[in-house]
Amino acid sequence: MANQKHSSVATYIIVALILAVITYIEFAIVEYPQEWLGRNWTLFWLVALSVVKFIMVIMFFMHLKDDDRTYTGFFSSGMFISMATFVALTAMFILPRSVASTRPDNVVAGAASHEVPQDVLDLVETSGLSRSPAAQADSPRPADRSVQITPPLAGNDASSYEVTVPGGAPAQASGEAGASGDATAAAAAGSDQTPNEEQASEQAAGGTTAEAPAATAASWDAEAGASVYTANCVACHQGNGQGIPGAFPPLADHATAVYEAGGREFLMDVVLFGMQGQIQVNGMAYNGLMPAWGHLSDADVANVLNHIVTAWDGPPAGFAPYQADEVAAQRGLGLSAAEVHAMRADLGL
Amino acid sequence: MSAQPAAPAASEQPVPYRATKLPDVKLLMWVFLASDTMFFGSLIGTYLAYKDRSLVGPLPVDVFDIPLTTVSTFVLLMSSFLMVLSLHAIRQNDIPKFRLWTAGVAFFGSIFLGFQVYEFVHFVNAGLSIHQNLFGTTFFILTGTHGVHVTVGVIWLVALIMDSYLRPLGAKDSVYVEIAGLYWHFVDIVWIVIFTVVYLVEFV
Repeated sequence: MANQKHSSVATYIIVALILAVITYIEFAIVEYPQEWLGRNWTLFWLVALSVVKFIMVIMFFMHLKDDDRTYTGFFSSGMFISMATFVALTAMFILPRSVASTRPDNVVAGAASHEVPQDVLDLVETSGLSRSPAAQADSPRPADRSVQITPPLAGNDASSYEVTVPGGAPAQASGEAGASGDATAAAAAGSDQTPNEEQASEQAAGGTTAEAPAATAASWDAEAGASVYTANCVACHQGNGQGIPGAFPPLADHATAVYEAGGREFLMDVVLFGMQGQIQVNGMAYNGLMPAWGHLSDADVANVLNHIVTAWDGPPAGFAPYQADEVAAQRGLGLSAAEVHAMRADLGL
Repeated sequence: MSAQPAAPAASEQPVPYRATKLPDVKLLMWVFLASDTMFFGSLIGTYLAYKDRSLVGPLPVDVFDIPLTTVSTFVLLMSSFLMVLSLHAIRQNDIPKFRLWTAGVAFFGSIFLGFQVYEFVHFVNAGLSIHQNLFGTTFFILTGTHGVHVTVGVIWLVALIMDSYLRPLGAKDSVYVEIAGLYWHFVDIVWIVIFTVVYLVEFV
C-alpha cells in the first residue's frame, strides 16, 4: 500500500473546486431558467453534470482511478444491478402511464379518425350512423351495423359480455332478452326520458345530428372501461369498487344510484373536473379530494364511466352508454371541483 | 490451538487461501457500498415511480427550497474534500492535522444534518407528513435513510478521533480511515444523485 500511487493534495483541491463550480452551475440552471435551452436539454445537462460529479468523487476522492480494479468491479456490479432495478421500476410504473394515453384504442374521440380504416369511415358516412368510428372499428365485423352487446344478467365480470352479430353465427343463445332490454335502454335515454322505441329508431335512422346518446346502440367497450379503471381508479376506489370507508367513497352500490338520480352529467363532471367538499355516501361522511382526470382521453372517460355504473350494480334503469363526443362536449364546461360538489347537492344526494 | 504432535511438516501445511492481497476491511467496505447502491437505487426508483402521483398537497414545488438545499449540498461536498485531506494527513503520520480535518468532516456532516432537520420540520409544519401523500412517504423514506447514513458517518468519524487519543495511530492504520472515508464519499455521491433527481428536476 505504501508504494501505491495516490493523488496529491493539489489534485484534491482542483477536484473540490470543480465540484463546487458544478454545484453552482446546477443551482444557476434551475434558479435562473434558460428558456433557450428548452426543458429536455435542461434536464439532460442537470443529469450530465451530476454524473460528472458522481464520477469525479469515486475516481479521485474514493481513489478508484488508481486503486485495484477489484474494487471497481465490485462497485460496478452493484451499480449495474441498481440501474437494472431502476429501469425495471420505470418500466412497471412510469412507462405504462405515458403509453396508455397514446394507445390506439384510447385515441378515439373524433379527431383520431386516421386510426380508423377508410372503408369503415365510408360506411359510417353513407349509412348515416352517428356511432363513433372507433366503436365501429371495435366491432368484430365492421360491415355489420347492428352489433348488440348483451350484458350478463348478473355478476360483474366484464368478460362475460357477449357480442351477438345478427346474420352471423349467434355467439350465445341468451342474446334475445338482453337485446330487447338494450333497445329500451337506448330509447329511454332520449331527451324526454320516454321509453319510446319508435322515436329511438327514428333518430337512429335519420340522425347525423349531435343527439348521440339516443342514436347509438346500447353497447360499450366493457374491457376498455375495466382497463382504464384498473390503471387509474383502483388505488383509491379499489378493484371491487368498495373504496376505503372514511377515506375514499365506494362506487359499488353508489355510482349506479347516482346515475339513476339524474346524475348522468354529474358523473362526467366528477371525473373530468374532480370534486372537493364533504359528501355522504351510504351513511358515511367523506371529506377528501377527488382529483380531476381531465388528462384522460374522451374515450377513456366514457369507457370508465360505463364501467363504474355497470360493473357492480348492473346497468342503471334507462342506461345509455357514455360516448366520447358527449364527454368532449362536457369537457367544455370547465367546472371547478367546488362547482361539481355543488352539483351533487343539487341532485339531492 | 491446531498444533498437534502428529502434524505434518510445516512446509506441507495448507496455506490459508487468499484470493487477493487486498486489505479485507477495504474489500468488505466496497462490497457493502455495492449493496448500499442497490438499496438507494431502489429507494430513488420508488420515489420516481410515485412522482406526480400524489392526490393531495403539499407537492414538491410547494415546499422545496433550492437555495437552501444547494448550500447543504455544497457543505456535504466540501466535507468530502476535508475527508481526503484527513486520509492524506494520517498517511503522513500527521495526527494533529488528521484530527483537525476529521473533526471538520464530522462538523460539516452535522451542519448537513442540521439543514435536514430544519427542512423536515419546515415540511411537517407545511402539512407534509410521511402519511400525507405519496410524495411525503417516498421523500421522507429516501432522504431519511440518507440522513441515517450521514449520522452513522458522523458517529464513525468522532469515534476515529477518539481512537487517536486512546492509542497511537499512524500511517499503518490509514486503511481504517480510508474505509470511513469511502463510506463518507459514498453518502456524498448518493446525495449528488438525490439533489438532482429529487430537488432540481422539480423546477425544470
